[in-house]
Amino acid sequence: MIAGVSLHDLETDPKGCCARVYESDEVRWLLDDQLHPGGERLTLRLARLAGVAPGARVVDAACGSGATALLLARELGCVTVGVDLGARAIEQATRATPAGASASFLLGDAEALPLPDASFDVALSECSLCTFPDKPRAIAEMARVVRPGGTIAIADVTADHDALPTELRSAAARLACVADARSADAYAALLRDAGCQPLAIEPHDAELRAMADRVEARLRVARMLAPPGDERELIREAATLARLAIDAIARGHLGYVLITARA
Amino acid sequence: MATLPVATRSVCPHCGRDLEAELIDRDGRVILRRECPDHGPIEALAYGDSGRWREAQRYDRPGASPLLRQTASEMGCPSDCGICPEHAQHTCLGIIEVNTGCNLDCPVCFAESGTGHQPDGYSLSLAQVEAMLDAFVAAEGAPEAVQLSGGEPSIHPEILDMLAAAKAREIPLVMLNTNGIRLARDARFAPALAALGVHVYLQFDGFDDATHLAIRGRRLQAIKQAALDRCAAAGVGVSLAAAVERGINEHELGAMVRFGVEHPAVNGVFFQPVTHTGRHPAFDPLDRLTNVEVIRGLCAQLPEWFREEDFVAVPCCSPTCRSATYALYDGEDLVPLPRLVDIDRYLGFVTNRAVPDLEVAAALSGLFSASAAGGTERTGDRLECVACGVGLPDELQRVAARGFMVVAQDFQDEWTLDVAKLRKCCVAEIVPDGRIIPFCAYNAAGYRAQVRADLAAGTSA
Repeated sequence: MIAGVSLHDLETDPKGCCARVYESDEVRWLLDDQLHPGGERLTLRLARLAGVAPGARVVDAACGSGATALLLARELGCVTVGVDLGARAIEQATRATPAGASASFLLGDAEALPLPDASFDVALSECSLCTFPDKPRAIAEMARVVRPGGTIAIADVTADHDALPTELRSAAARLACVADARSADAYAALLRDAGCQPLAIEPHDAELRAMADRVEARLRVARMLAPPGDERELIREAATLARLAIDAIARGHLGYVLITARA
Repeated sequence: MATLPVATRSVCPHCGRDLEAELIDRDGRVILRRECPDHGPIEALAYGDSGRWREAQRYDRPGASPLLRQTASEMGCPSDCGICPEHAQHTCLGIIEVNTGCNLDCPVCFAESGTGHQPDGYSLSLAQVEAMLDAFVAAEGAPEAVQLSGGEPSIHPEILDMLAAAKAREIPLVMLNTNGIRLARDARFAPALAALGVHVYLQFDGFDDATHLAIRGRRLQAIKQAALDRCAAAGVGVSLAAAVERGINEHELGAMVRFGVEHPAVNGVFFQPVTHTGRHPAFDPLDRLTNVEVIRGLCAQLPEWFREEDFVAVPCCSPTCRSATYALYDGEDLVPLPRLVDIDRYLGFVTNRAVPDLEVAAALSGLFSASAAGGTERTGDRLECVACGVGLPDELQRVAARGFMVVAQDFQDEWTLDVAKLRKCCVAEIVPDGRIIPFCAYNAAGYRAQVRADLAAGTSA
């Protein structure tokens, strides 16, 4: 059991499990509340790459509890709309929105955005394209809701599955973020297939490395605190997997990338 | 971001002349360069990696002012110490050298202390030390830390009264800088220090015979072990202080940390590259050790525990003077605190973002200042504040409070003196006439010899 989710749950309802795992206190603590690599800094970098200007209309597909949409509204003066499949996430995001903030949130599927055509300057998706079962459809939806000449901005995990060690591949298969991650080139190809023109591909493996480092260190400290027995051994194993992931990042087999494309 | 070259001032190591100087980037290392009209071009390694130098500058922050400054700016830095109005930081750690006599004659000694008769030797009275402590309190209000040093302060007949006088002034961290001989031989000494609540800063340079002979002139391993065991039995906290020199004990950095985390008395290890002033071995100023080489050496020897990024350039003094980390250790594994906490978020330069939590930031600054030592109550409180502020669970806060400190501290000498760095210095010698002289100026700008001569001549009260 990790954060109240069993292996059986992972096999039967991976999407729901993923949401529950990321909402749990333990996992939030392991990640230091940074649910994607690079935290706010990299989100702002992605927005700059996408040419986001004050007043720009931005949609965040799979916005989670709204941190990015709120950040872009607050720091860059954007008018943001966040869309997420999770009712609880949308509720949290709405509650976290200060009065007068230019951010709003909608319950909806990234693969069928509940938004009119050509109504945004930028469509952004962080660490979530890799989790969408139908990636071409999700990209087509982002392309549909931005105006002609608008920008699609993607931040995501990259993986070279064939090169990953077995232990990591089998564990990775259970972690939505890595399981269906592609190479940067494959993401760019998906964008091209949707009729978009890739503009920038910026690797940020160091930020993924920093996140993996944080998780590994926190697991090792959690091991110090765990009572001797199964729980301690489980945490020890998880720390070993984290070290394998760090090694894979160092070898370039796992990474993180920012991609922008003209719609 | 700061870029090289940087203009500064320095001195000629041969004649002491005040010179214009610059820090330059050469082959990825930072070199301090100047030219003396009499002694020609002079160069010394200032920092072992120019990329790391640039990163460290991100941690530089404006200093705080002391309540009092004792001298006026007349000749310009470093000739007006101190503290003069040009100085840009208050004093975190005050040092009082109570004597020049010692029970060792080490081949490495920036203070040029020893066992024989010294024509310029001195031994301060209790009244003098009390007046110096009062001067420090007047300058700082509530000083954070004071260290009694020498010479060998433990052989001063009034050392316990002097330490008690520091404690009586409510200075939270009172340290005794010692070679450990008295601790090992006098069974009553460690309990007396424990009763006063004094922290021991113990010279500890490694384990090999060759190391001991090169740095101390004697094999002192058994004495160090006995001193530490007596401290542990009495409940005295100890920081190990290693003088580290190229080609002598660079290979023992990892072993010293391993030994330290296992010994119940030890709460931290301070690695200090040998300052080439006073007595020291022959050296190449362009191939000396800086914090970069010390940290890299340690990480290479203990890759399972440390890497370079675990060490934070301390923002209090100039950020290339001191790099430090805290580590959690449970007997099996060691995890450096900076891996758990995004230190940059609190201490570093981050665009578009105010410091998120001033209390946590202040606690972190305190942890990484020269007034911190591992295992003390104040350090424990600060670690707990940081652990709580960044959301570590309660149990972890208690582990964190036992954090083990590892520090690399590069003091300056006549070869490396950089006046821009010196202005930010927060470690200072308190001298009997009430001046507070930045430590590196004291050693590298002629003050040590001057103060000793004055004291020997009886011209300074």
